Amino acid sequence: MSHDHETPKSSEPKPAPLHGLLAEYESPWDLIEAAKKVREAGFSRWDTYTPFPVHGIDKAMGIRMTILPWIVLGAGLTGLACGILLQWWTNAVDYPWIVSGKPFWSIPANVPIMFEMTVLFSAITTLVGMLMLNGLPHPSHPLDLKERFARATDDRFFLLVQASDPKFDLKLTRNLLSSTNPAVLDDVNEDRTTSNDLPKLFVYGMVILTAAAAVPFALAFKARFTKSRDTRIHLIGDMDWQPKYKAQRQNPFFADTRAQREDVVGTVAVGEFQDDDAFFKGKQGTAYVRTFPERVQLNDATIDRGQARYGIYCAPCHGLAGDGKGMVNQRAEQLISAGTGKGMAWVQPSNISQDYIKQQPVGQLYETITNGIRNMPAYASQIPPEDRWAIVMYLRALQRKGPAAP
Amino acid sequence: MATNDKSIPPAKPTDGETVFGDNVRATSALGSLAVKAGAVGVISLGISAALGMSQGDGFRRFTLSYLTAFMWGLAICLGAIYWVTLQHLVNAKWSTVLRRVGEVLANTAPVFGVLALPIVVPIFLGNSSVYVWADHAKVEADHLLHHKAGYLNSGFFLVRYVLYFGFWTLLARFYLRKSLEQDKSSAPEGIRKRLQAAAGPGMIVYALAVTFFSIDLVMSVDPYWFSTIFGVYYFASCVLCINSTAALSAMWLQNNGALKKSVTTEHFHDLGKMMFAFTIFWAYTGFAQFMLIWYANIPEETAWYKERFAHGWGDLSIALLVLHFIVPFFGLLSRHVKRNRKALAFWAFWILGVVYLDMYWLIMPATHSEDVPFGLIDITTLAGIAGVLIGAAAFLAKNLTLVPVKDPRLAHSVAFENI
Repeated sequence: MSHDHETPKSSEPKPAPLHGLLAEYESPWDLIEAAKKVREAGFSRWDTYTPFPVHGIDKAMGIRMTILPWIVLGAGLTGLACGILLQWWTNAVDYPWIVSGKPFWSIPANVPIMFEMTVLFSAITTLVGMLMLNGLPHPSHPLDLKERFARATDDRFFLLVQASDPKFDLKLTRNLLSSTNPAVLDDVNEDRTTSNDLPKLFVYGMVILTAAAAVPFALAFKARFTKSRDTRIHLIGDMDWQPKYKAQRQNPFFADTRAQREDVVGTVAVGEFQDDDAFFKGKQGTAYVRTFPERVQLNDATIDRGQARYGIYCAPCHGLAGDGKGMVNQRAEQLISAGTGKGMAWVQPSNISQDYIKQQPVGQLYETITNGIRNMPAYASQIPPEDRWAIVMYLRALQRKGPAAP
Repeated sequence: MATNDKSIPPAKPTDGETVFGDNVRATSALGSLAVKAGAVGVISLGISAALGMSQGDGFRRFTLSYLTAFMWGLAICLGAIYWVTLQHLVNAKWSTVLRRVGEVLANTAPVFGVLALPIVVPIFLGNSSVYVWADHAKVEADHLLHHKAGYLNSGFFLVRYVLYFGFWTLLARFYLRKSLEQDKSSAPEGIRKRLQAAAGPGMIVYALAVTFFSIDLVMSVDPYWFSTIFGVYYFASCVLCINSTAALSAMWLQNNGALKKSVTTEHFHDLGKMMFAFTIFWAYTGFAQFMLIWYANIPEETAWYKERFAHGWGDLSIALLVLHFIVPFFGLLSRHVKRNRKALAFWAFWILGVVYLDMYWLIMPATHSEDVPFGLIDITTLAGIAGVLIGAAAFLAKNLTLVPVKDPRLAHSVAFENI
């Protein structure tokens, strides 16, 4: 018992301060009765823990209605507004885009998204709001140190009064809780043993995941801003490379190394056998025909057809009166006179009532339509022969009508 | 059922007059209501018939107006059949206190079977003033009607009419009869099980019946148009009607001395929740029907909506959207509204009103009038149907106990608490 010079270092940790008193009950009704007592005693920092929702516990504990419904209402309305704004902006303002012939901002089409966004914002806000208003997630709590507390998720009902409550008095509060006949009444101490730091594995994992998540963005960024001579990465081939010969490719199998074989001499496509030069070419030998071919019917129906076809194909340039002052011509002259047609060379389309055109045989008129002339393109591919003759007949009618103003 | 749940008082239904100290009969009040409502109903129908005759259009206007009111009233009855079946199907415990009200309303089905005659008999006689397909000659002349004649012909229609009302009457009577039997039985749990077992098949047949009935009576007014969701759309109105009517009925009974303690704010809250939910559901089915037709823009389908967007009907369409969906949605959103009797009663009347508006919008464009032709005859037919419905229900209920006194779930229902 002499004074030892070295006082042994105290290896006992200081006792942790009291967090609160924990009462354990075997039935929910006992818990409700206890809760009523605790509430009536005026405590404010206390809570109950049950394995399942207990009817009447809210009233017994005096828990006020939550403001969560109002938050959710706000979130829902925000979702609605966002849904409207998103669709209005993208479809009607930023890139006006006709879909199915509907108006740019077509509200019936927008309703499903508006509905969905309302529900989505509401639902997420309900979940997150509920967690936040409950202070969750709460990764560490002094109650985790009490082994008995695990039964809170099983078959026991707990009530905890925190020592930090202004009305807390160790002896009085203990007596109050004892009077509610708990199965077990225990102290809960603050947690001074477990570390407050995040587990190392957790931190390493988050860092690695974050870095890995950045990789796709980095690749996209690289691809966006660099040039490359390589062919594109073609991940899913499907049937993109097929071992077959296409029409214009080489094929060493044949003497002329073409994949495509030439037509047999004299081949004519179905429906394209042009036996009548007068009808199909407007020529007899090398001379233009001067009369309409036999199979062209000389009647009103043909002229009407010619008028209609003229209106479609010829009038844009030559004008409805045949005077060369069609819409294309008017526009060209407008551009030239406005100065924006600088450097533009424009020749007015022919006035078909000019004498030299009046004197041309019908076969020549037909050929002009078929093969084009000067700046006028060939219309053979657009107008079938019957219609071309109908137009020629209408031209003759136009020319007969009288001279159009030059 | 947690029998050791001390928070729920044990069921002691002994005398059938009071349950948990609450009065469960309202014989004289219901009796007097039956007479008054029945009188209003019959007289209004008589006036309607007279007005119909005075139109000089072969009762066309009368039939359309009558059909509108009829579909509205029947929605309450069909909603009740659905509701009772559903409560049994899922073994619901909150609603037992109200179930007798639902059972009584469901048993107005045979009354509606008779009320349907002014609509059904002309069809059977080949009168095509409202249903063009009822006339054989017109069907032969029209390619599309001819194509549909396998279903839309008066003979098959009559058979279906008998089947619909036969089934609904039988199902409603089954549930009420068995429930009354349970009141006196010494083995109520066995009856409860039986009723639950019948509810499954009953619900399936019910769904088919409501679907095809609404197609037969409402959709076929325009036989060139069709919508596969039409049955569901009408069903949504049925559910809205029963929840509103059950709430109003319970309130009336409480005002007349019965069920003051058994039916609590909690029950009204739940009915209000259903009114809210099915307001959304109605809008959902209605919009689903509309959007697909609008988007595809096929003239065969859009013609029906085109008629309802033209002239006065366009205003009615907007009114329907606003009054049937937007307003009650925000109105019934808050739990405080649902837990306040006066507010809930307001919204119950509102919903019954807009359901009538919906029926009007569905049926009356068949008058092909540019403006909405609302007139006295619409009021009298509505009063007629409503009067007969209320009168019949009150007459049925006046000698009954107003809760299923021996239902094993009754105690749970009385003690029911919302979150």
